[in-house]
Amino acid sequence: MQLLAQQLVNGIALGSVYALFAVGFALILAKMGILNVAHGTFATWGALASYWLVFDHGLNFWLALALGVGFAGLLGVLADQLAFEPLRRRNAGTFAPIIASIGIWIILLTLAEAFSGPVAVSYPTGSVPTEPIRALGLIVLPAQVITVLALVVVVTLVHLLLTRTRFGAAVRAVSVDPRSATIVGVNARRTLIAVAFLAAAIAGLAGVLGALSDNNVSFSIGEALLLKGFAAVVVGGYGDIRGAAVCGVAIGVLEVMSSQYISSGFRDAITFGILLLVLVARPQGLFGERQLVRA
Amino acid sequence: MSTTAWLTTLQFAGVNALFALAIYASLWTGVLSLAPVFFGAVSAFTFGYLAGAIGLSPALGLLLGVALGAALGAATAGLIIRLDSHYLAMATIAMVLIGRVLVLNLTEYTGGASGTLVPGDLGTWVWLIGTLVVAGYVMSRLAGSRFGLAADAVREDPAVAQTLAISPRQIQFVGFILSGALGGAAGVFQSSFLQYIGPDTFYTHLGFVTLAAVVLGGAFHWAGPIVGAIAFTILPELLREPMGEYDRVVTGVALVLIIIYMPRGLVDVRRLRLLRDRTRRRPGDRREDVTPAGAPAGAEASS
Repeated sequence: MQLLAQQLVNGIALGSVYALFAVGFALILAKMGILNVAHGTFATWGALASYWLVFDHGLNFWLALALGVGFAGLLGVLADQLAFEPLRRRNAGTFAPIIASIGIWIILLTLAEAFSGPVAVSYPTGSVPTEPIRALGLIVLPAQVITVLALVVVVTLVHLLLTRTRFGAAVRAVSVDPRSATIVGVNARRTLIAVAFLAAAIAGLAGVLGALSDNNVSFSIGEALLLKGFAAVVVGGYGDIRGAAVCGVAIGVLEVMSSQYISSGFRDAITFGILLLVLVARPQGLFGERQLVRA
Repeated sequence: MSTTAWLTTLQFAGVNALFALAIYASLWTGVLSLAPVFFGAVSAFTFGYLAGAIGLSPALGLLLGVALGAALGAATAGLIIRLDSHYLAMATIAMVLIGRVLVLNLTEYTGGASGTLVPGDLGTWVWLIGTLVVAGYVMSRLAGSRFGLAADAVREDPAVAQTLAISPRQIQFVGFILSGALGGAAGVFQSSFLQYIGPDTFYTHLGFVTLAAVVLGGAFHWAGPIVGAIAFTILPELLREPMGEYDRVVTGVALVLIIIYMPRGLVDVRRLRLLRDRTRRRPGDRREDVTPAGAPAGAEASS
């Protein structure tokens, strides 16, 4: 029972990283209509940037976290303006942005590999909180607390932003049709830039927190996140970021439980198997509504 | 580079061309799929296992690879063909990732992390070029067939195709079988040339290189993937010297630039026709209603 509870805590914390990433991924997918496979590299670069600031420049971890998140956001805006904006202007259809995002993925991943080197590193001890918290016989790491809190705050804020503010209304209008949104006085391009920044920044946050929880900074952080995040978005349905968040947490719990009670080798296979199963049985996601598609 | 190195590079260009044709076969029917990499992995590991366990002859191995790939293609299509384009693309990427997990865990058959050895009997020019010629011939014959025309229609607009009594699902199903057969053959060749296959042999990198090859070469004519694969395999080799570990960055940049500025790729039959029409017109010709020569190649492309 103790073990189950402890693993549940671990699973929720792991899942919170996936969920954070999934929220950003879902934003780009739902509001910009782009399946951005480069999204994982934004997370990687957020983590790498913050590590570089802490390790090479001795910056305070929290400041480095904020700067890393900002850097990831800027990368997102750059990718959007350099690669996706020309395609949007040409009205290039659905495949072109996917292929462009594969190009961005290759570029950012290769650069990350060259920047970080083959050896995995971790944040220097002393710069980050590591003292475990003991309560009710459970051991909770500070990184886990931070991750869960970050998820709750981000999901609440983004959800309120999208549903209760003028900016949110603009985002929803642009996501339906940029041209009509422009007619009613929305600056579509500026709105899309803001969404790109927000989504990539959230990915960066997931990257930093994932690196903090694993105590491991490497160029491959984003690759794992990308698939788990995508699985969460598909299973949750991408219309509502809360669905993606809940499913992200669920995937984390499932992973921890399956490696504890079934087999650690097949951990990923189980996650992706469920992903395929949901894709086949309920393509619109567990919580999603059917999308209206132009014939 | 030495001559031997060049020949090896060209051999892998040929294998990549087979993979690229496999991706093209489904893209032709409007489906973006990386599944051929997974089909190739299954064929290659089955071939490696059977060659080791019961001494399967290489020629039979190739046939088996093609059949296995086609069967897997049909099974995959049956399951996921009805998904929307985004989901379908990602489902095939998920297949590639699951493939790696399977290879790592089915140690008994695949050798797990340390991989497995494969006989290299098929790794010769004769087999490779022979297979490429057969594949090219089949694709070129299909291009003008009822299937080819239907596939073009489905890619351009499934709704319009449906009003022409074409069933998009059926066409895409056939495309997936074709894609599976080509992917299976490519997997057998890849393993024969390498003579060693591991969990990373058939992984995302292979998928992206071949997808890039299709995009560069042109996804609107069967010769495009072959030209693209040759260009995209040789380019990094040439760049390795001056660029070092950054050679893959060029692949990425090229992919983005091509999709933005040359969305129809190098082998663009429509542009060639426009050029030919322009050169045929003699100076004294006074027809002025011809398409302006400077019309951008991708102006009406909707890939």
